[in-house]
Amino acid sequence: MAAVQETIEQVKKIDVDQYKYGFETAIETVKAPKGLNEDIVRYISEKKGEPAWMLEWRLDAYERWLTMSEPTWAKVNYPKIDFQELHYYAAPKSTEGPKSLDEVDPELLETYAKLGIPLKEQAILAGVEGARVAVDAVFDSVSVVTTFKKELAKAGVIFCSISEAMREHPELVKKYLGSVVPKSDNFYAALNSAVFSDGSFVYIPEGVRCPMELSTYFRINEKNTGQFERTLIIADKGAYVSYLEGCTAPMRDEHQLHAAVVELIALDDAEIKYSTVQNWYPGDKNGKGGVYNFVTKRGDCRGKRSKISWTQVETGSAITWKYPSCILRGDESRGEFYSIAVSNGYQQVDSGTKMIHLGKNTTSRIISKGIAAGHSENTYRGLVSAHRKATNARNFTACDSLLIGDKCGAHTVPYIEAKNASAHFEHEATTSKISEDVLFYCRQRGLSEEEAVALVVNGFVREVLQHLPMEFMAETQKLIGISLEGSVG
Amino acid sequence: MNVAVIKTKAETTLSEGFGQVAERLPGGADVQQAREDALGRFASLGLPHRRIEEWKYTDLRNAMKEALPVAVADEAKVTIADIIVALGPLAQLDAPRIVLVNGRYRRELSNLADASSIAVEPLSQALVGSDGAAGLLSDSGGDNAILALNAAYVTDGAVIDVPAGATLEKPLLVVHSRAGVEPRFAVGRNVIHIGEAATATVVEVFVTVPGSATEGQVNTASEVLVGAGATARHVKIAVDAGKVTHLANWTVEMEKDSVYRGFQFTSGVGLARNEIRATFKGEGAKLDISGIFLARGTEHIDTTLFVDHAVPHGESRELFKGVLDDTARGIFQGKVIVRRDAQKTDGKQMAQALMLSEDAEFDSKPELEIYADDVVCGHGSTSAQLDDDLMFYLRARGIPKEEARALLIQSFIGEAIDKIEHDGLREALAEQARIWLLGVGV
Repeated sequence: MAAVQETIEQVKKIDVDQYKYGFETAIETVKAPKGLNEDIVRYISEKKGEPAWMLEWRLDAYERWLTMSEPTWAKVNYPKIDFQELHYYAAPKSTEGPKSLDEVDPELLETYAKLGIPLKEQAILAGVEGARVAVDAVFDSVSVVTTFKKELAKAGVIFCSISEAMREHPELVKKYLGSVVPKSDNFYAALNSAVFSDGSFVYIPEGVRCPMELSTYFRINEKNTGQFERTLIIADKGAYVSYLEGCTAPMRDEHQLHAAVVELIALDDAEIKYSTVQNWYPGDKNGKGGVYNFVTKRGDCRGKRSKISWTQVETGSAITWKYPSCILRGDESRGEFYSIAVSNGYQQVDSGTKMIHLGKNTTSRIISKGIAAGHSENTYRGLVSAHRKATNARNFTACDSLLIGDKCGAHTVPYIEAKNASAHFEHEATTSKISEDVLFYCRQRGLSEEEAVALVVNGFVREVLQHLPMEFMAETQKLIGISLEGSVG
Repeated sequence: MNVAVIKTKAETTLSEGFGQVAERLPGGADVQQAREDALGRFASLGLPHRRIEEWKYTDLRNAMKEALPVAVADEAKVTIADIIVALGPLAQLDAPRIVLVNGRYRRELSNLADASSIAVEPLSQALVGSDGAAGLLSDSGGDNAILALNAAYVTDGAVIDVPAGATLEKPLLVVHSRAGVEPRFAVGRNVIHIGEAATATVVEVFVTVPGSATEGQVNTASEVLVGAGATARHVKIAVDAGKVTHLANWTVEMEKDSVYRGFQFTSGVGLARNEIRATFKGEGAKLDISGIFLARGTEHIDTTLFVDHAVPHGESRELFKGVLDDTARGIFQGKVIVRRDAQKTDGKQMAQALMLSEDAEFDSKPELEIYADDVVCGHGSTSAQLDDDLMFYLRARGIPKEEARALLIQSFIGEAIDKIEHDGLREALAEQARIWLLGVGV
């Protein structure tokens, strides 16, 4: 009962219109001129002090991007983006990296405090024994501070910004960057490859179990800057890592573009668990403003018995175009996808996953929960395929959609391709509203209608929630206390 | 498409060959005009290819390299005995029938004595008859190239009108047969109106007279209007020997409180595309479409459904089962749309494939597009091999391997065949499936 009440309060707190994280921080930033051309790509590369091979790589991606056109197949509508009207680089002015937290701009720390980022050690989830989170906080484009680096280094784990990795570990970056999501994979991936500003790099050496959960908080801050994150995670043989990504963005009138690329590589017996909570500004009540989230996320189970698991909670963004995928290349590898996508207001979500079975005895599991309210459109789009040689591929997919209100839409577009007879694929999808019987049952026991709805929604997404790391629970609870206010009755 | 598309040989033949046959196609000036308009739409659309989302898995542009000569005023010699042999188990059925050979109505082979309660007329006659005959050649707005092609070239078919309140006791067979040693492109169309509170069963049968050319192309379209409170049972059976290209379109519209039960049986067809578009026009209608497809060799069978719940209180059920052997490929695409106002819709869909060979392929794309909140909709799709445990169970009880296998396959497809209410028809189709099973290698 208390828990239910808590949810209700959270629901009330996070209304689309009163976006809690809608504030701006006045920090001086260095910006590239508007627009995109070869010189901008050179500018970004130079600003970041990148080696020549990286510049070549970016320019090649840019060349390819020029020949590509924007994908139009997703079930989302938005005015055409003028790619020449965007700034492709913005960095806080103090480019010299601070040595400790004391040196960090206090205003920046305040921003983090408002966001509730557990940057300082003592702030990290007091009471949860042994749970420590290393935060590689990204403020706009440049990685500002990295904590726990030493302890991670002791374990041999490399956790740094990708620009640092280019300087310190060029052999790893050269080997793996673009090996899962090639430069010309799609329009937004090519754009990202050309202009990506920064992001995280993680390397877990052979046999190491990463001693703590790794986490990055993103925040788009500067006006009219696209944020182009690039994340590369490599788990060497027998390694394990759990990576957390969470996002918030300040309130804006103009649309903001976010085109990130995330690449995961799991070698033999390795496991990567990647969790995301995305709560960017979804636009106001009339669908004005909001973030465009066009993200390419892909994991490659390259080794035998490797495992990649995606868990995502999508509550924000005006438009979401995101399909975290697994390429199950190694024999007996496993891919998992757990997703909660909540849309309200005029949000449009087109999200799902791809499970591409290439190796023998590979298994995958997809659990997707979509909740549509207001005037939103919520689409699950997924692909499960078994190639000729993928004997005994197994997949189970369940996509459930919940509709709240009669102005929203929930859609399911699964592609199931079995090119191998021993593949065993099961897919099921349901769409419904909250059962009158269940509501009646709850009301009869004294719950208000909103409480009852919150209870049912919580139950509806539980299956996915339980796959989130403990550290994320608190925040997720808040986000799952979705902006459903006003959608009942 | 921003790419300039070069016409394939088949497209050129179909677009430019029209002039040569136009004069011999039935219909007055307005019908001719409707044909030319439809041809224009086809010419601009071209044959569907994999870049078109609904044709993702069936690249017809690539698969249909050449267009065979259209069968017009065909004179192939066919006897009643030929038709009986071609019908196989269906010949046992006590049913009135209208027979077409290579897309042309044959009075001497037809027998409509038991269908006096309804009006049946060959399309070729209807097209030259009354005003507004061009309305018989509708192609649903013109984005369907296959339907446009049908409207341009159609030679014959059955126009069936069941008057309000009438009941057609026996199923009516509409037999479309292929005959002759020259491969032909046969284009047929059936227009079926079931009046208010009427009941009828129409069975379309696509068969080949023994000794005919193994290759052939068929383009068939059926338009079914189910009146308020009426019950329509509609079956299509396509059985051939593996080389025919079979393109079928069903367009179904359902009025208030009507019931539509459709079934499609496809086996031995080289390339089949069975497209069904059903629209709920009136509230409280019930739709049940099911079918089985049996494929071996390099056969390719595509079933594509669009179920449009445009009004509230509709109920739809779909069940399709496929058995795929050798390198055969089965495709199921089922899209259920629930429009904004279509509250209280209840929709369920299931597609299942049984893979008998390592190299068989099943591609499935069940799709839900839902804009109303007070609905219950679901779909499922599975593909798998025969269950080893079940095989073991049967074999442990002394049942030989072949027999055990056949039993399991029969029970798998039986669930769909059982949807057919007419006893004789159900048994005939079960027998037809058994005949196909005899060809399954172990």
